[in-house]
Amino acid sequence: MAAITASVNAGGGLADHIHPEPQGFFRKYVFSIDHKIIGIQYMITAFLFMILGGMLAELIRVQLMKASGGIMTPDTYNEVYSVHGSTMVWLVIIPLLTGGFGNLIFPVQIGARDVAFPWLNMLSFWLFPPAGLMLYASFLMGAPTAGWTEYPPMSLQGAAGTSMWAAAIFLIGVSSTMTGINFLVTILKMRAPGMTFTRMPLFVWGQFVTAPLLMIATTALGAALAALFVQRQFGVAFFDPTRGGSPLLWQHMFWFYSHPAVYIMILPAFGIISEVLPTFSRKPIFGYKMIAFSSCAIAILGFMVWAHHMFTSGLAPALQLPFMVLTMLIAIPTGIKIFSWVATLWGGVIRMTTSMMFALGFLATFTLGGITGVFLAAVPFDLHVHGTYFIVAHLHYVLVGGSLMGVLAGLFYWYPKMTGRLMNEKLGHWAFWLFFIGFNGTFLPMHWLGIWGQPRRVAVYDPQFQGWNQVASWFSFVMTAALVLVLFNALWSIRRGKKSGPNPWNARTLEWQIPSPMPYYNFKHVPSVFAAPYDFAEPLPYKGLEEELKGGPPPVPAAH
Amino acid sequence: MAVATLAHEPDQLYVETRELRIQGFLLFMVSDLVLFSSFIFAYLYMRNSGQGWPAGGPKLDIALAALNSIVLFGSGATMHFALENWKHRNFSKFANWIVMTIILGAGFLSGQVMEYIHIGARWSDGIFGASFYTLTGMHGLHVFAGIIYLTVLLLQALQGKYTFTKYTGLTLGTLYWHFVDVIWVVLFSIFYLL
Ligand code: HEM
Ligand SMILES: [Cu+2]
Repeated sequence: MAAITASVNAGGGLADHIHPEPQGFFRKYVFSIDHKIIGIQYMITAFLFMILGGMLAELIRVQLMKASGGIMTPDTYNEVYSVHGSTMVWLVIIPLLTGGFGNLIFPVQIGARDVAFPWLNMLSFWLFPPAGLMLYASFLMGAPTAGWTEYPPMSLQGAAGTSMWAAAIFLIGVSSTMTGINFLVTILKMRAPGMTFTRMPLFVWGQFVTAPLLMIATTALGAALAALFVQRQFGVAFFDPTRGGSPLLWQHMFWFYSHPAVYIMILPAFGIISEVLPTFSRKPIFGYKMIAFSSCAIAILGFMVWAHHMFTSGLAPALQLPFMVLTMLIAIPTGIKIFSWVATLWGGVIRMTTSMMFALGFLATFTLGGITGVFLAAVPFDLHVHGTYFIVAHLHYVLVGGSLMGVLAGLFYWYPKMTGRLMNEKLGHWAFWLFFIGFNGTFLPMHWLGIWGQPRRVAVYDPQFQGWNQVASWFSFVMTAALVLVLFNALWSIRRGKKSGPNPWNARTLEWQIPSPMPYYNFKHVPSVFAAPYDFAEPLPYKGLEEELKGGPPPVPAAH
Repeated sequence: MAVATLAHEPDQLYVETRELRIQGFLLFMVSDLVLFSSFIFAYLYMRNSGQGWPAGGPKLDIALAALNSIVLFGSGATMHFALENWKHRNFSKFANWIVMTIILGAGFLSGQVMEYIHIGARWSDGIFGASFYTLTGMHGLHVFAGIIYLTVLLLQALQGKYTFTKYTGLTLGTLYWHFVDVIWVVLFSIFYLL
């Protein structure tokens, strides 16, 4: 690795720069510059926000148990679903997948000691909790009411909280941009000797493709938010048609970058799935290069399809066809991935760990979400279901059935790397089944509710839909219970979980070659890599996880 | 993954080395560029949809703006000389050029304030006013931040923070200042020439 050797020389003597591990509580756990601690900080914060966002979700479902006369006024209802959506997108899924798992794992996977800019990393994290609190503080001054997309003119009329919302999301955006830059430089410059691009684990590929999206997409979202903010606070006329502006401008600005942003929420999850499936099938992943390159294709295409969110907003008919075709093209790289994952399972020695179950659940539900996405790309179909619960169904299949299941698979998979212990498998299996059943029971009915015409974002609806809404609500409680169980499991296992040793799953990527929990500076000596990941060819002493767990800690390779 | 640990492999560092910092800074400029581009595209898109201009056309003072641009580009040149002199180890000339740069930057900002006072458009007028004030205002903020940045660099240099072989901060400051110049070329073209 010429690059690393060069930077070593440019950086001066070794002794000047290796910092000793900080000892005080604050420098070690609060204002830490260690990428692993920062990753855990992101995860804890994001899970706390998930509890808040989840409570709002349950408020929504309780409201919709009855066709009319629920527990909230329509205005409160608007605030609740707007903050719910914003929380889940910006304070939960994106921080978990990038700041959380990204920080925790990928630097180790490329054999680095830390990310390129540890101080910047700390700063990125510390923008996040205040931004989240700002979003919730907006409840005190009239929270945003126009959904997570905040279309004008409605968002211009909302109470002062909408400006607060814009400022909070802007801060999150700054944090994401810094994270993206940091990750990109890290992957480009800090790989261990021999870690070529075709030897990078697929989770690293996921982060590598996501980082430029984080860097570019979020900045431009920032522009849209700034425009909204100055119009609301200072009367600058961006979105006001009576003064030469246009509400459609917001839609272009928002979606030109928020469509790529949905890939920020799925590409790292693809990466997690691509780690979990081969490990628990004991087979190298099928079509490694296809998976890596299709991620790049998705990221590039993602910048060209934003207007599929605007088919009903008065987009010129001549533009509808190209946007429809381009959107449908995205199904090809996505399909390639799904094919490769299924082929990886084919003939493998499958171990049904909780992590694997979540990965398989991901395959099933994400595929369904992708298919409804292709439906939506067809303009005539979209004209019919736009603004209905069909959209809600689609987006939750990809975001909950996709991204969140990916997160849960990753949580069970990498938990030992954080704590040195395994999460409880029995509780995990229970949680998986409750989650899977609860999730499908909640969101599957929304497909037909949408086709029948129940509009989204409305507090009251036609009584004929009440039955299926009640079904959805009851199942949503099951899903929530499952998530509570996962959180309980995570907390319980910190002290009570089985000791894991460095490599409980017998995986091959670098993070499993160092002790659990991972030590400060990760590696005693920087490793040299001389083969591809997922090389399970050598015979292993593996007998099956259940047996191993019964017989005490699994046999572990010697730590160094 | 097959891994060998070589005991004599030089340990990879944790520090922000020159190469890393320059690359990180370039990426920061890319994302900053995206911020400007979004507003520029928004402006051009709205303008072409036929509602962009206040009645009678905007009354921009192109002469003042041109003069102001020359001042800004001049500061780009002086910054260039500053860095070159540092590389040639001529400390006093370096200090002079960087002070010149700061003065020219401040001159540009005062020119901009004058223009804001005399201009015939308001920011609430429509997409023109909105874009003009947002974009030039953002650019002005960048110049202002740059002035502070350069001042800090100068003070650090005076305190001996940089050596003649270790001066990444100065390189980054120069990159930043040129970046602000380039943005201005685009803004000048779309608002005054187009
Ligand atoms: C095969 C890939 C996909 C296709 C073809 C697709 C297509 C679409 C289309 C056409 C819409 C607009 C529907 C409308 O508003 O009328 C939409 C909405 C949406 N999609 Fe997808 N999608 C795909 C995958 C994804 C993924 C992977 C995610 C996120 C992880 C995602 C998240 C969303 C969200 C959040 C919305 C709703 C936005 C709103 O609130 O209005 N989609 N999708
Ligand atoms: Cu989209």
